[in-house]
Amino acid sequence: MCKKLQILWLSAISCNGNAHSFLNYPQLDVFLDNFEFIYHPIIESDYTLEDVINKDLDCDILLIDGAISPEFKKMDEPIINIVDRYAHKAKKIVTVGTCATFGGIFSQSGYAYTTGLHFNQKNPTFLFKSLKDKTISISGCPIQPEVLASTLYAIKKDIKLKLDNYLRPQEFFAYTVHNGCTRNEYFEYKIDNHVFGKKEGCMFYDHGCQAPFTNASCNKILWNEVNSKTRAGLPCMGCTSPDFPKQNLFKTKKNMGIPQDLPLGVGKRTYLTLAGVTKAFKIKRLEEELF
Amino acid sequence: MIKLIEKIEGEARLNFSFDKNKKIDFVDIEFFSTRNIENILQDKPALDALVINPRVCGICGHAHLLATVKALEDCYQNIKIPKNAQILRELTLNFELIQNHFKWFYLTVLPLFGYKQHLLKATLPSQTIAKAIATVGGQYPHTSYAIVGGVVCDISAMDIIKIESYIDEVISYFENNIVVAKSEEFSECDNVEKIMIKDGDLPKILLNIKEKSWEYVGKSYDRFITFGENSYFQSGKSIKTRVSKNLNTDDVKEQLNQNSHAKNVTYKGKYYEVGPLSRAMLKKTPLIKDAHRRYGDSIFSRILSRVCEIPQLLKHSKKLLQEIELNQPFYIEPKTDISKISACGIGIVEAARGSLIHKVELEKGIIKNYEIITPTQWNLSNGEKKNLGISQKAMIGESDISLAEIIFKSFDVCSVCTTH
Repeated sequence: MCKKLQILWLSAISCNGNAHSFLNYPQLDVFLDNFEFIYHPIIESDYTLEDVINKDLDCDILLIDGAISPEFKKMDEPIINIVDRYAHKAKKIVTVGTCATFGGIFSQSGYAYTTGLHFNQKNPTFLFKSLKDKTISISGCPIQPEVLASTLYAIKKDIKLKLDNYLRPQEFFAYTVHNGCTRNEYFEYKIDNHVFGKKEGCMFYDHGCQAPFTNASCNKILWNEVNSKTRAGLPCMGCTSPDFPKQNLFKTKKNMGIPQDLPLGVGKRTYLTLAGVTKAFKIKRLEEELF
Repeated sequence: MIKLIEKIEGEARLNFSFDKNKKIDFVDIEFFSTRNIENILQDKPALDALVINPRVCGICGHAHLLATVKALEDCYQNIKIPKNAQILRELTLNFELIQNHFKWFYLTVLPLFGYKQHLLKATLPSQTIAKAIATVGGQYPHTSYAIVGGVVCDISAMDIIKIESYIDEVISYFENNIVVAKSEEFSECDNVEKIMIKDGDLPKILLNIKEKSWEYVGKSYDRFITFGENSYFQSGKSIKTRVSKNLNTDDVKEQLNQNSHAKNVTYKGKYYEVGPLSRAMLKKTPLIKDAHRRYGDSIFSRILSRVCEIPQLLKHSKKLLQEIELNQPFYIEPKTDISKISACGIGIVEAARGSLIHKVELEKGIIKNYEIITPTQWNLSNGEKKNLGISQKAMIGESDISLAEIIFKSFDVCSVCTTH
């Protein structure tokens, strides 16, 4: 068997949700034949966090989970020092989750200058600019386990991944959450009378669903292999986006009755034209209960 | 002497002091950092708390969602929550407890007794039961499917079949691995000895404890409290098996802690143990009563009671699932929009580690104040020598630091929750 890649999972300002989401990866056993965690916040490892901080360990891939602030310390050691030390040693860096990528929820925790590794929401940061070439971002709150695992395999196999402007693999982030949603027809024909607690209806028009303008594979690679938030009836909260979390998440922001955020790439004028056309439809099947 | 405790959803530092007989006479418990979730919530629209609060914790975020929705609903004078929604909420919370207990046993407990961590034995059943949560909630972790007025989903007969088969799969996993017996036999058993002679990973650990003569180790005040009540758990307090039912949440007080980012919590000035052992004492679960009668509130009873919840909650969940009426609603839109509500609310649930309390103050639907009291704050309160916290009291008198670590971890420590 070929050599296992050594991974260091470093938690910064985090809830550990990414680590637990990763434990839902179905082929963990095979994964661990290919990779080894020199440190992980849950999985048993050869080294302790104290070792990570006090010793100079080797690692191939550095995973950063959680937001970063110069004020935040791990056992008295500033997190940015630990990141800096291992980031230079590692062949690749992966920011795991929206906090590590963009700052996320915990950028509001009150630590000074809390951001992601390379981005403060949409804006680039400069502290670790020199590491940008070897970084891949996996946003998501939490990450989808398969997205992280497959990216790590790609690193192992030296596959050159096409990345978007936020360094996210396009293979997963070129899609919108809207792709594959079982409520798509209600969106297409603009049937906007969604109420919660129903299989029917689209949450984009009233209930704040951000799926048409959020890049992620939630409805392509299903969550826990079975479902997604929008399929269940919960609006997409835009948790992979640089500005997650926005405010008033269960309500669609509208100007003059038109959603403020339109599907990616769709202009206001064409949207209005399309809306006019869809009004001509009267589809009984979609106005009734499915079954 | 200082010891860093790792892999507890974060870290904690235990600073031990010893008396002249080299016995621990005090432990200072320090948690390093907080994420100030309560401050993040301030001035946010009320419903956004349903999205932010699951992110308190990666392993028990669902309990935080359910405490949040209850606190927000408590702000209404009249709100009707459909029975189906109440059942689903209770089910998905049960499922979260189950995944937690599997992970704790195979990832945390096994290594404490010299065995290798068994990652796959933890992840296989927890992945299966997470599928049951995702079937109704869309995903796990970090769904927000419980909203004010009910739940967002509308499940079908096929979903119920699916969930039932996930439950059955986990039951048989338990029966083949943790205690090799019919799970009914285990959950209805009233004699610890009968469990010890079975095959399985739990009896192995319990025997290990007895071989090392640790069955009496880790006793605290024998004082328990449970605030959350549902169709399975009962609220009340139990002091040396004397149970009283009347609790007033106004008597729950948080105190700032000088040395740590975690706040201490007391009820009428006293520390109480929360969690599975406390729940079992109040429910008078026969097997746990037997363990408690023999060994008191020791690590033996604590480990047994946590694992014992798995088959009991699975069995209860199967019953609950049958009570769903598919022709009835899962959500009823509240008559008043939350943006018109100015009130205070409290939401309490039983999370994996014990009672979780959320308190909210709304002004025209905007959060003016939010307070979260987590189970681990109860168990890991960092008291003073004259009034020790629950886990401190349990560690006092030992001379071996690694045994003290076992005692500490028998409370299923969660660092991110403790500090939040």
